[in-house]
Amino acid sequence: MLMTACAGTQSRHTDPENDPWEGFNRKVYSFNDGMDKVVRPVAVAYGKIMPDPFQRGVGNFFRNLDAPVTIVNQVLQAKFKQGGVSAGRFLVNSTIGLLGFFDVATKMGIPFYNEDLGQTLATWGYDHSRYLMLPFFGPSTFRDGVSRYADSFYHPVGAAIHGYNRWGLLIIRGIDLRARFLAQDAELEQAYDPYVLMRDVWMQNRQYQIYDGDPPLADYDLYLED
Amino acid sequence: MKIRTMLLLLFICTFNTGLEADSPEDDPVSLIINTTNRIFTEVDQNLNQYEANPEALESLVRTDLLPLLDVHYSARLILGRAGRGIEDEKIDAFADAMIELLVNRYATGLLLFRSQGQLIVLPQRGELNEKLTRVRTRVKLPSGGEAPIDYAFHKTAEGWKAFDVIVEGISYVSTYRNQIMPDVQANGIDSVVARLTAGELEVAE
Repeated sequence: MLMTACAGTQSRHTDPENDPWEGFNRKVYSFNDGMDKVVRPVAVAYGKIMPDPFQRGVGNFFRNLDAPVTIVNQVLQAKFKQGGVSAGRFLVNSTIGLLGFFDVATKMGIPFYNEDLGQTLATWGYDHSRYLMLPFFGPSTFRDGVSRYADSFYHPVGAAIHGYNRWGLLIIRGIDLRARFLAQDAELEQAYDPYVLMRDVWMQNRQYQIYDGDPPLADYDLYLED
Repeated sequence: MKIRTMLLLLFICTFNTGLEADSPEDDPVSLIINTTNRIFTEVDQNLNQYEANPEALESLVRTDLLPLLDVHYSARLILGRAGRGIEDEKIDAFADAMIELLVNRYATGLLLFRSQGQLIVLPQRGELNEKLTRVRTRVKLPSGGEAPIDYAFHKTAEGWKAFDVIVEGISYVSTYRNQIMPDVQANGIDSVVARLTAGELEVAE
């Protein structure tokens, strides 16, 4: 009975527990997929035209700009020591690293941490949130989508938009991010259900971030029985 | 240097806790260190040769990596309830297709990341659990970053074997399971095996 219920892949409930809005999410996924017809060629061109060191510099620059959000959320999670490290990293890369284009801190052995409000809420106990596909931004959860908006008020790129209506940085960031994921396109295209693949990979990686790189393992015993 | 220190520490630790049945080089951590270093060194020394001849690289991976893996157990985990009532030969064919896919990906990754032989194994927490032991590693990437790769091991009649690989929190078994279970249920295992084999060829191009 279950077998026939699962036949076909579109707009079914493949994970009712984590993705109760699957029907809606799949529509947004299709929308993003349509947008990608325009975004992807731009990202491909960017990847081809720009020399690798320049691309790495742009990636470093944006990663460095995430630091304020990370630091605030490290404090909210009472990770004061790590917060100090992130502040030091931000200072070094913003100055010696020429606005963050060069990741001098990593060469100096300063560790990189990544925190945001979604992760803070998760550590505060809001650890289950339904999957939510955001237009333009891609995979998220309800918790992380709302948090992302809140974080944007004290993120330099977000501040440029809220304060000065400057969207340029966000657009460059989008192209830069898209270019980074070009290598995964083939994998996604060949997948039995690309929507589910993207959701799975994102959700697992998000758990990994929330648990600071040490999430619990899957319940393999259940896999054998179920 | 770091690896040598790790090995030394490892030796001291194993010596002190006195793992009864295992000789020290057969425990999960040593298996990972030895196998990975063997493959890395071999590839680094003959990089041009392997770049020109991906088949040779795949055969290197097959002979060196496969003895470490319990692929049939992984196949059962991936198939889950979809694997019930399917003849053993078909499960074997499925497992073989998964092996080819895995060998292919691993070989591609080796060339892509040129790991430079830098493997860090994080300290083991707690005691070895025969049902499930995790080995946590970091592979240094040429870009300066690190790729976190974990292995899930269990103990079989033939010793410790890995049955899952987890990269940045993304489990190979969990991810394939969610793709393959519904595929098997909708289209049958033969079609899935055919698909995997075809996919493998595409990736290999």
